[in-house]
Amino acid sequence: MTVNSIQDQISPQKGSETDLEDEIVELERRLAAAKAKRRSSPHKSRSQPSPEEPLATPNLSHHFHLLLSDSALPLGSFAFSSGLESYLAHGHRSNPYHPHTSFSAFLPLSISSYASTTLPFVLVAHRTPTFASLVELDDAQDASIICTVGRRASIAQGRALLGIWERSFSQSLPPTTAATTGPTEKQQADLAAFARLVKKSGGKEIPDASAHLAPLFGTICSVVGLTLHQTAYIFLFGHVKALVSAAVRAGLFGPYQAQKILAGATVQELITEMIKREWDTQIHKAGQNVPVMDLWFGRHEVLYSRIFNS
Amino acid sequence: MNSPFPTSSSVAGEGHLRAKLLPHGNSGLESFKYQYPLKLISPSRPSETQSVLVFLLSYGGGLVGGDHVKLKVDVQPKAKLTMVTQGHTKVFTSTAPDTVTRQDMNVHIACEGGLCLLPDPVQPFAGSVYEQTQIFHLEEDASLCLLDWVTRGRTARGEDWSFDCWVGRNEIWTVPTAKEDTEADSRERLLVRDAVILESNRPHPELAILRDSMQGMGVVGTLLLRGPLMKLLGDFFLAEFAALPRMGARDFRSDAAKQAAEDAHLSPREKWRTERLAMEKESKLLWSAANVRGCVVVKFGAPEVEAGRLWIGSMLKEEGSISHHFGDHALICVRE
Repeated sequence: MTVNSIQDQISPQKGSETDLEDEIVELERRLAAAKAKRRSSPHKSRSQPSPEEPLATPNLSHHFHLLLSDSALPLGSFAFSSGLESYLAHGHRSNPYHPHTSFSAFLPLSISSYASTTLPFVLVAHRTPTFASLVELDDAQDASIICTVGRRASIAQGRALLGIWERSFSQSLPPTTAATTGPTEKQQADLAAFARLVKKSGGKEIPDASAHLAPLFGTICSVVGLTLHQTAYIFLFGHVKALVSAAVRAGLFGPYQAQKILAGATVQELITEMIKREWDTQIHKAGQNVPVMDLWFGRHEVLYSRIFNS
Repeated sequence: MNSPFPTSSSVAGEGHLRAKLLPHGNSGLESFKYQYPLKLISPSRPSETQSVLVFLLSYGGGLVGGDHVKLKVDVQPKAKLTMVTQGHTKVFTSTAPDTVTRQDMNVHIACEGGLCLLPDPVQPFAGSVYEQTQIFHLEEDASLCLLDWVTRGRTARGEDWSFDCWVGRNEIWTVPTAKEDTEADSRERLLVRDAVILESNRPHPELAILRDSMQGMGVVGTLLLRGPLMKLLGDFFLAEFAALPRMGARDFRSDAAKQAAEDAHLSPREKWRTERLAMEKESKLLWSAANVRGCVVVKFGAPEVEAGRLWIGSMLKEEGSISHHFGDHALICVRE
C-alpha cells in the first residue's frame, strides 16, 4: 500500500479520534508483521555480507566486464555523436528537412541502425576469436561502412581499443593457470599479430586490416571471458551512453535527464530486443535499416559548425 | 487443355547474357537466354554503338509473389554493356509473408570491360516481400556504374513504405584476371558491400514504424562507381559533395553584394551548380558521396521520386562520362 492511498483512507475520518487510534494500531501491527517476515526470509545472508562474496576467487571476467563497460574506457567515444549532430542540423529551422527533430525520436532509430549494421560483427567475432576471423571480419566491415565519417569513427575507436589492449590489458593479465580462466597464449599472440598487421597496412587503398571497433570489441570481450550476451549488451549500451552524453554536450538536456534515459525501461528493452533480432545474423546479411541515417552520417561533413567528429 | 499460364508461383526465371567485343570494335551479344518471368530485349538496329543495349524486363511489367529471377551476366574483355528497364520494376503483393520475391544478379566483368546499369527504381507494393542480391566480380581495370533505388510504393493508392520487407544487397569484388593466377596478391577481395534492409516488422513499440523511419523520403537510392571508365564521374561526385554549401552557415553579405555576385559572369558549370543546388533545396533532396576502397558510393533520398530522378539524371548528364562511354541510351531511365 502506498503512502497516498493510506492518506486517502485516513483523511475522510478526520476528527474521529477513536478511528485514528485504531488505524495506528493496525499499521503498527502490520509493520511488526513485515519486520518478522524479513527476519525469516531466505535472503538473510545479504544483511551480513561476507568479504568473500560473490567473488570467492579473483574473477577475471567480472573484473573486465566492469572495465569494458566503463565510460572512462579511453576509446574517445565522446568525440562522436553517431549522426545526432547532423540529424539536429537537418531539423534546424534554417534547413527544415525534418521539422520535428527530437532526441527521443532519434535514439530508437540510432540503436536499431547501429544494431543492424554493426552488432553482427561483434557477435561473430566473439564466437570465433581467432586471428583469421578477426582479419576477415575487420575487412568485411571496412567494405560495408559506406561513409567516410562512419569509417573514421569506427577506426578511431577500434584503434584506441587495440592500443588499450596492447599497452594496458595484455601487460597486466595474470598468468593463465589450470585453476584460472583467461586469455590463452594463442589468443594473446593472435591479437598481437593483428596489431602488427594494422600497423603495416597504413596508406594502402584497400588496407589488410583497419582495426574497426566492432570485431575487436567482440574478440577482446571473448578472450577475457565475457559471455556473448554481456558483450552484446555493453556494446549497444556503450553506443547509447555515447549518444546520451553527446546530447548533453549539445545542450539538449542536462545530466539528470541523461541518467533518467539511461536507467529507463525503454533503453533496456530496446537493447534486449536488438540483441535478439541480430543474434543469428550472418555478417554478409547485415545492413542498414534506416537509410536516412547514412545521409545524416555522410552529411556531417557539410555542417558549418561541428562539435563532434561524427 | 493445358492452361497457357504457368501454374507454379515460384518459377525460377533464369537468364544469361554475354557481351563481347566484335571484330569491328563495337560491343555485341554472344549469348542471350532468358525464361519466364524474365524477359530480355536488345534492339536489333541500335542507334548508338558505344555499348550494347539490353532491356531488362519482366512479363506483365512486374514480379508476382514468389517469382525468382536469376540473371548471370558476363562482360568479356573490353566489351561494354548497358542495361536499362522500361518503367518501375513493380513487386506485387505476396500471398504469404514467407513467400519471397527474389532477383539475383551475378555479374563478371573482364579486364577493361564495362557495365552500366541505370534502371528505373523498384516499386514494391503494399504487402510485398522482396529480396535483391547483385554481386559484381571485376577483373583489373573493369568498370561498373550501378544504380539501385527503391520507392515508397503506389502513392496514388495511398501506399507509403507499406510493403512487408525489402532487402537490397550489392557487392563489388575484385578478382584476379582469368589467365594469370600466379601473382602474390591474386585472391578475391570484397571492395564494397552495400545493404539496405527495410522491414515493416518492428520488435519494440518505441521503434518507429517503417514509414516514419524513412523520415519523409519517397525514394532512396545508391549509386556505385568503380573502374577507369568511371574515374572522372566518381571524382565529379566527390568534388560536388565537397562543394556543397555548409549547413548552418550564415550569409553576412549585403543584398547589393549578393546581387553583384549573381550578376557576375558565371561559368556554365557554376551556373548549372547554382540551379542544381536550388533544386536540391526546393525538392528537399539529400545526398552524400564517399570513396570506399577505390569505389565511389553515392547515397541519396528525396520526398518525391521524380526529384530523385531529375537529380541523378542532371548529375550524370552534366559530367558526361556515361554518355561518352556507354551512349545516351544508358540514361533512358534517368531522363526527365
